[in-house]
Amino acid sequence: MAKYYDIDDILADEELVPAVFLEAVNGVGLLQSNETNRIEPRSKVELPFWLASELHLRQAASVNVPPCYNKKTREEIGADGAHVDLRSRCSYFYQLGCKIVQLIGDKTIGSLLLVAFQIRYKEVLIKAHTSASILGPKFLSLLTKEETKLYDAAKSSTAAFKSWRMGGPRFQKASVLGRKRKPIGE
Amino acid sequence: MSGQSDPRGSAFSAAELEFLAEDEMIEIVPNLRIKPLSLICGDFGPFQPQIPTQVPIWLAVALKKRGKCTIRPPDWMSVEKLTQVLEAERDSASSFEALPFHYVEISRLLFDHARDDVPEVYMVRSLIEDIKDVRFHKIGTGLEKLSSRTYAMKLNLSAMEVNVIRPFVTGSLETFYELTAPEIIQESQREEYRRPQTADRGPRRELRR
Repeated sequence: MAKYYDIDDILADEELVPAVFLEAVNGVGLLQSNETNRIEPRSKVELPFWLASELHLRQAASVNVPPCYNKKTREEIGADGAHVDLRSRCSYFYQLGCKIVQLIGDKTIGSLLLVAFQIRYKEVLIKAHTSASILGPKFLSLLTKEETKLYDAAKSSTAAFKSWRMGGPRFQKASVLGRKRKPIGE
Repeated sequence: MSGQSDPRGSAFSAAELEFLAEDEMIEIVPNLRIKPLSLICGDFGPFQPQIPTQVPIWLAVALKKRGKCTIRPPDWMSVEKLTQVLEAERDSASSFEALPFHYVEISRLLFDHARDDVPEVYMVRSLIEDIKDVRFHKIGTGLEKLSSRTYAMKLNLSAMEVNVIRPFVTGSLETFYELTAPEIIQESQREEYRRPQTADRGPRRELRR
C-alpha cells in the first residue's frame, strides 16, 4: 500500500506475464478464441500482472517467469549489459522483476536485476552528466522506464546548473511591469 | 525549506542556493559612517570609513551597488591559494580539497557585483572554473563505484556539487536498496555481492576523508 499513489507502480502492474490456468473457469473468454466462455484447465494465457498474481495466490492459475528474464536475456546482460534493449522487452524491468520474485520466489531473477542495474546505471551516469549535446535517440530507447527517470533527473539538474552559471537575467521582470498604461477615455 | 522551484521537492534550484550563500560573511571596507545595524539575523557595524568589518554577502552587495564600500575577497580567492588548490585537486584522484561550502556561488556573486575588488579577476575566474571542472570529473568517476553498500560519503563537496548530483544519487541508491532487499535476492548472493565491495574498500576509503 505504500506505493498506492505511485503511477509507475500501477503501470508496472499492467505488464503482461504468461500464466497457466489450473482450474476450469466459467464466465470468462479468451480473446480470439472460439465462442465458448469457458477456460479449460492448463490453457496458457497472457495476463496483466495484477490479475495473474491474484489468480496465483488463489491457486487458480500459476504464473510463469516472463520471457524478459529468460536465459537469453541473462546471457546478453552478462555479455554487455549496457547495450541490451530492455525497454522493448519490459519497460518496467526492475519493478516487475521485484514483484515476480516475491510472487514466485525465484531469487535468481533478483540477482539478475542487481547485476543488470549495476552495469547499466554507470552508462546512464556518464551519458547524463557529461555529454552536453543531445544524444541520439538510440541510447534512450534502450533504457527502461526506471532508468529513463534517473537519466532525466540527472540531465535536468546538470542543465539547470549550467544555465545558472552562464548567467542570463538574474531577476526576471514581470511582463506586466514594462507595459505602459493606456490613457483612459480617448 | 527545500525546493520551491522543484515539484518533487528533492533539490534546490541554483538560484535558491545562491540565496543561501548570501548569508555567508565577508569583509568589507566601508567609505561612509553608519551606526550599527540591528537586524533580525544579527547586528552589523558600526561602519567607519577605512575600518574593515564583517557583513553578510547580501549586505555587502547592496552597499557595493550603491558605491558605499569595497569588498575584500576572501583569503581562498587569491591566485596563489587557488593555484595550490588546483594542483592538489589534480594530484589526488579521489580526495577533495577543503574549499568553502558555497565557493561556486560566492565566486559568482563577487564576479558579478564586485569585479573591480578582486585582484587579477580573469586569472581567479579561470582558476575557479578549472577547479570546478576537475572536481566534477572526480565526482563522476567516484559515482561509478556506487552500490547499495554506500551509506555515507564524507567528502569536501560543496553545496552546488551536492545539489547537481542529488537527483541521480538518491534515485540510484533507492533502486539498489530495493534490489538488495532480502526477499529479492538470496542471502548467499548478497554475501557474494558484498565481497567484491569489501575488497574494493581500499580505494574507496581514500575517497572518504
